[in-house]
Amino acid sequence: MKRPKKSKSASHSPWVRLAALRPRFSAFMLDWASWGFIAYGVMYLLNKYWYIRHVNFYGRLTLPGWGWPVVIIATFELALLSHAFSQSIGLSLFGLRLFGPEYAPVPFRRRLARFVALHVGLVLQPLALFGDRPLGSLVHDSDKTGRMLLVAKVKDDLPAEKPRKWYTTYRGLFLAGLLALTFWLGWKITTINLQMLVERIGKSGHIWKDLFTPRFTYLTEPVIPGRTFSLVHYMLETIFMAFFATVTGAIVAFPLSFLGARNIMGFNAFGWLIYSVMRTLFNALRSIESILMAVLFAVWVGFGNPFAGALALFLHTIAALAKLYSEQVEAVDPGPLEAIATTGARRWQVVAYGVIPQIIPSYLAFTLYRWDINIRMATIIALVGGGGIGTLLFYFKNEVGRLDDAWNQVGAVVVAIVVVVWALDYISARVREKIG
Amino acid sequence: MEELIRIDRLTKVYERGEVLAVNDISFTVKRGEFLVLIGLSGSGKSTLLRCINRLIEPTAGQIVFDGIDVTKASARQLRQLRRRMAMIFQQFNLVKRSSVLTNVLSGRLGYVNPGASAIHKFPKEDLESAFANLERVGIPEQAYKRADELSGGQQQRVGIARALMQRPDLLMADEPVSALDPATAHSVMQYLEQMNQEDGVTVIASLHFLSLARRYGTRILALKDGEIVFEGLPAEIDAAKFKEIYGEEAEEVEVR
Repeated sequence: MKRPKKSKSASHSPWVRLAALRPRFSAFMLDWASWGFIAYGVMYLLNKYWYIRHVNFYGRLTLPGWGWPVVIIATFELALLSHAFSQSIGLSLFGLRLFGPEYAPVPFRRRLARFVALHVGLVLQPLALFGDRPLGSLVHDSDKTGRMLLVAKVKDDLPAEKPRKWYTTYRGLFLAGLLALTFWLGWKITTINLQMLVERIGKSGHIWKDLFTPRFTYLTEPVIPGRTFSLVHYMLETIFMAFFATVTGAIVAFPLSFLGARNIMGFNAFGWLIYSVMRTLFNALRSIESILMAVLFAVWVGFGNPFAGALALFLHTIAALAKLYSEQVEAVDPGPLEAIATTGARRWQVVAYGVIPQIIPSYLAFTLYRWDINIRMATIIALVGGGGIGTLLFYFKNEVGRLDDAWNQVGAVVVAIVVVVWALDYISARVREKIG
Repeated sequence: MEELIRIDRLTKVYERGEVLAVNDISFTVKRGEFLVLIGLSGSGKSTLLRCINRLIEPTAGQIVFDGIDVTKASARQLRQLRRRMAMIFQQFNLVKRSSVLTNVLSGRLGYVNPGASAIHKFPKEDLESAFANLERVGIPEQAYKRADELSGGQQQRVGIARALMQRPDLLMADEPVSALDPATAHSVMQYLEQMNQEDGVTVIASLHFLSLARRYGTRILALKDGEIVFEGLPAEIDAAKFKEIYGEEAEEVEVR
């Protein structure tokens, strides 16, 4: 019989291509879900066993906090592995293969079962895995409050839990195996080939030579008079781009950091909502590298304009600093906050008098550290039109072949970058030492 | 004497229902009393104190302060109530990187104009009373030092000065001398006694040492596992009572 229609009609529209991927995607998800069910079953039994055996001694009902992430990763890897071997173990196990032999269409009954399994599974899994109390408690452990009180009462008189070496526990061995598996997968996926590295060593030989004999022809002279600037000019552009982005970013991040701190936003539903929104925002913004943002801004304010780079760095700095800052806010000593709240102060007064004095030094240190990162980022942001010293770097690199000393000129730019980055690194390290 | 606080069937269960810190406690405190809470670590002394000004939300029960139900107070009412209930802490809880003066002035935060406090501006009379209170606890020369440059005893005196700034009706002291040496402990306790006797501030202090409790308390409340096991005058605690409160193996230690 034939393959299904979708994959046969190879259209150029990305949506059609995406749709063609759907069966494979759903197969993978189904596979993962199946492994998840197996893992969940195992964990459920372990929990039950743990409960019966140990709860009266150590008051432990369920997996520790890190347990569920481990289960998720493990099942993901199992699914990946089974796919790598083209053996959808989960599918065969549930009798839910996507196609019959030779891609024969599956009977409706089976398709329905597959649909239900996939959708119910996708809903149930996050519930089971992430649904901590109260939803999660419906799924796994049943007895939460009543008996625990009794347990806590006698807890002090219990024999001490003897710590064990990691390699004598199932957990330790399991984690070690998982680590090895991950490493092996990584090796395969990145196609690491040490042989090639040795064989083709001669290919880049002359470039190294040229790079190490830099020519500072354009140190203060513009490269193309009237259209471009000198090396020093671009360097200053770079430094101030980073400076602007860091200062403005820090100013914006400062108030935001309190909104993203658990201990400031309180433990009610409203505070939790704002906290989650802010943290999600920080993480989302942070995960977009500034060089990607610069692509957008270069189109917006002009290719090669340092303003584009500064804007990109500014946005990324807000997110990165706000996250670092809010972690600092969360780590403050709660004692003084308690004391100031006791005087009848408003919440923002508690922040102003209790939190801010405690976090100022680490804020300064993080801001300086961020400046270091921004300088380094600013040197290459020209790759996408963000301006700065990188403009020259990529200009000369593109002139390779047309210009005899192109690599020597690149070398000069690299030397300039190294000197400036090193110098500013040194200064900020010294300042941070002073603050700390 | 008129009653200042009435606590009625107060219960605090910590999250997840794992620890029952305070279990169905009822008692009253009269105006002008020096009530001492004793008991082992984890017996619920700190939780009880923190429930009174709702630094910890009680799970059940009622706390009435001067006729006002603290447990039902709105955020605004709670702030006004807290101004009248000062507290000092075992670890002093000063803002370490701020100056002693700022720490003392923060005792006025509940009273001052919030806008002015945002730029660290306090009224003249508050500044004067801050210096007066530092004078009173014997460390006027330390006003401009950073709080963490002071010794433990001095830091606790800053804590007392901060509490004095509130001009409170009630002072709660959560193991105020546990982190101090015996000699300093007595001097700190004497400041509390002075507040109690001269300013008429009602004091509730939790203490580790029974000898301190006997020396300073007008009444003693002993807690064990979140329940009251003794309530009465300091002199009424004999060897048998002591064993009941602190356990069979405990030996009484004297702090001089």
